[in-house]
Amino acid sequence: MSLNALADPPPALMDAAAMDYFTIELVNTLRESSAVAIARTKKIEQEMADAGLLPPPAPPSTAAKRDSARDSMTSTPKLESSSKQGLSDEEEALRQRLEAIGMHVGANTAERLCHDRALFTDTLDAIKFICKELWVACWDKQVDNLRTNHRGVYVLQDNTFKPVTRISSWEGRQDALRRARIYVAMSGGIIRGALARLGFQAAVVPEISSLPQCTFQVKLPKGS
Amino acid sequence: MATPAAKQYKTLGEEIWKGRAEKTNAELFALTYGALVVQLIQDYEDYEEVNKQLEKMGYNIGTRLIEDFLARSNLGRCADFREVGEVVAKVGFKSFLNISPTVTHGGQPPAASPTRASTPQPAAPGSSFTLTFDENPLAEFVELPEEALEGGLWFSNIYCGVIRGALEMVQMQVQATFISDVLRGDESTEIRVTLSKYLEEEVPVGDD
Repeated sequence: MSLNALADPPPALMDAAAMDYFTIELVNTLRESSAVAIARTKKIEQEMADAGLLPPPAPPSTAAKRDSARDSMTSTPKLESSSKQGLSDEEEALRQRLEAIGMHVGANTAERLCHDRALFTDTLDAIKFICKELWVACWDKQVDNLRTNHRGVYVLQDNTFKPVTRISSWEGRQDALRRARIYVAMSGGIIRGALARLGFQAAVVPEISSLPQCTFQVKLPKGS
Repeated sequence: MATPAAKQYKTLGEEIWKGRAEKTNAELFALTYGALVVQLIQDYEDYEEVNKQLEKMGYNIGTRLIEDFLARSNLGRCADFREVGEVVAKVGFKSFLNISPTVTHGGQPPAASPTRASTPQPAAPGSSFTLTFDENPLAEFVELPEEALEGGLWFSNIYCGVIRGALEMVQMQVQATFISDVLRGDESTEIRVTLSKYLEEEVPVGDD
């Protein structure tokens, strides 16, 4: 028994409140750093445009929907998709970073959880692994509800999703919802990264309609 | 040599850790933090700036952690800066991260000119202690590339901010900096905490 314990030591623990504070500050820090990165990119684009190496930046698209009053100075092509979702450039940059961090966490966590077993061949088995073991490792419980259309789309529902259970905002419910939606970008990334490490390329879209419930739509390629 | 007081803090730290209602997987913390540092390096392209951002992040966390800590530990004001070091090491880090860095106390600087402060000062500015980390949960999966080593990155700089933020809320202005890190090939991982000054308690506006 002791050999097993050496090979697979129980994970180190830390205080959950400290982790919560860390997560809050993580988002704030990334919001600032992504603004810095965007500003630098725009400056370079402007310099190249001034030097005649690039066409001038496109004027802001008036048809783009925004759910915040914030203006974006230019609409760079790679961030165009964000305007369709109603996110400003800055919010989209933040969302991308959170998702990327989540993917790193998910991939490594899945790898550690699966290190002593064969790869999943069946999509459903991989999804069930996510719903049970990955969820427990990250969020201390299993998914409450799993639905599928049997054509590669799965919907994972957690009625008391840990990362958002403690979100409250003195500004009110709408603001709490908005903040929760930002945080779960990382959770979506965790799921996506885990599936990727297991060999499944998926698109994961988190959705919150009422706290503390959260659903994740997982879309796997045709033929899954 | 563990004085009775030191042992008492060790016990208190362990008790608080055991009593913490909710615990979470520290590996998630390590993985998240590592990815964050990588992202910050990409965004700022400047290791000094990344150090600053990590410290600032820690500062904000520390200012909140201290309230939680004071509520749980029921500790009163520390008698002197030595005691601050013991508490930070044995109770603070233990109760949140379940690690126990060892603490070595720096010598007290020679007594300054007669103090004009209205309150007696338990330690002269310049007093310090050093925390030595045998284990660092953040660094578990980490190897720093050459560039980061040369660029002066202090990977775990968030700890310095946490210490500074927490102590500022209890009226101590300190400087907390890394002096060595095994991630950089040093023999040990050490943070030195130096007292800059005591802060006067703020009187609420309107009180005369």
